[in-house]
Amino acid sequence: MMSESRSREKILEIQALSARYGQIEALHSVDLDVGEGELVAVLGPNGAGKSTLLRSVMGLTSSTGTVRFRDKILPRRDTSAIARSGIVLVPEGRGIFGPMTVQENLQLGAYLIGGRGADFERRREKVLALFPRLKERLTQTAGSMSGGEQQMLAVGRALMSEPRLLLLDEPSLGLAPKVTAEILETLGRLNRDGLPILLVEQKAPLALKLANRAYVVSNGRISAQIDPREIKSHADLAHHYFN
Amino acid sequence: MFDLAYFSQTLVNGLSVGCIYGLIGIGFCVIYNASGIVNFAQGAFVMLGGMITYVLLTTLHLPMIVAGSIAIIVVALLGVLIERIVVRPLWDRNATMFVMILATLAVQIVIERTTLILVGDQPKSIPVFTDLPPIRIGGVSIGYQTLWIIGVSLVLIALLALFFQKTLVGRAMRACSINREAAALQGIPVSRMLALSFALSAALGAIAGILLTPTQFTAFNVGTPFAISGFIAAIVGGFGRPFGAFLGGIALGLAQALAVFGLGSGLKNVAALSVLLIFLFLRPSGILGAAK
Repeated sequence: MMSESRSREKILEIQALSARYGQIEALHSVDLDVGEGELVAVLGPNGAGKSTLLRSVMGLTSSTGTVRFRDKILPRRDTSAIARSGIVLVPEGRGIFGPMTVQENLQLGAYLIGGRGADFERRREKVLALFPRLKERLTQTAGSMSGGEQQMLAVGRALMSEPRLLLLDEPSLGLAPKVTAEILETLGRLNRDGLPILLVEQKAPLALKLANRAYVVSNGRISAQIDPREIKSHADLAHHYFN
Repeated sequence: MFDLAYFSQTLVNGLSVGCIYGLIGIGFCVIYNASGIVNFAQGAFVMLGGMITYVLLTTLHLPMIVAGSIAIIVVALLGVLIERIVVRPLWDRNATMFVMILATLAVQIVIERTTLILVGDQPKSIPVFTDLPPIRIGGVSIGYQTLWIIGVSLVLIALLALFFQKTLVGRAMRACSINREAAALQGIPVSRMLALSFALSAALGAIAGILLTPTQFTAFNVGTPFAISGFIAAIVGGFGRPFGAFLGGIALGLAQALAVFGLGSGLKNVAALSVLLIFLFLRPSGILGAAK
């Protein structure tokens, strides 16, 4: 699978990406790529730099290095422009607009197409088919929903822009196992339908079930690359984590 | 002896000036929501609204509606200019709130002094919009300009509500106020929203100035007291809550009017600051609860 993945056209190429918070360098010269149609997982312990990696790709942190998306170099500090290029991040903590309704959140997800019209309706129906629970909540304020529903909204809102690459930061954080499984199952389905995904996840076994490839991040560096098929046991995983 | 007619008259006057404070307070909130910045140049927009209208009326002899419209557009553009050359560079460098407040105060002073040089230090006024004798209800006299102030303020509140609730740009501005990072992640051009918020606030300030000038006067130095009153209105209403700011403005206007009625006009500002202190001590989140 690894070689098959490698043969796919690279759509996201990250080269020598470093990021710092003040005096602290959180990411050290990271190289990573995602191929067309791939689901790539980024694993690692808390504080390893996984979220910083995604935030740096989206221009939310001060960083150096090159991020190339579909042969175009992305600006380093213009998040809106990066989103307009077709990359959408579902951030850690979801970043939903809590005081606004579910419908308004979905409209803002489709901001780039004006949040209305036939195209908007088509996208909305698609998202509501993926997450039927949101359909009952359209007029409810997003902040009043359960954590799982909020995560569904966060993913649904991201899909409203019909991204060409979806980045997810810890989608399982704070969710019940059943809800996590439901959301990850949906992500797997989206990926099988052709959506490339870069998934940051602390719960490695869950991520490896879906991923074509995985990177392990440790102390701000890529410490290993994993072929999920080679992981047969916790010991195999631990070997990659601690090697 | 209690004079009911005088009391009612004072309340009507308080309501009228309260609407103006409310509009200025909304201006504070719109910018704060989009950027986290407290813009103390807000008072300059009020002064310029009246002053530019005065200049256009007296030098070009334009009709009031044309002069007022041009003044609103010019002040809105000035708002965008201030955002571009003063606020944005500091914002991009993550300047602290303290630096931002100092920068906008500096802008206020520059505008004030430039106006002094260009039009002098004498107070200016413009004619009332409807030149008819006031309406008398009982012993209370309600001038048409008071009706204009209250009516236009209510229309503006309704339009703002529609804008923020029903339009995508309005929703995007609300999204920026809730979570700027998440808004940018949806492709919302956050910096353009900041420029728009300055334009909107400046236009609101200019409208407030145009409405108020016929009943009082305008001069190069009226901006700061209005900025302070608008700021108090925004805090009393719940900072970051545009409609709270309007309520706060009315509360402030009425409190000042009651102070004038009961204690004399010398204690008007004491009343305003007392309202501020009472809210800061007892309900710091304001009438509607602060947005942030």
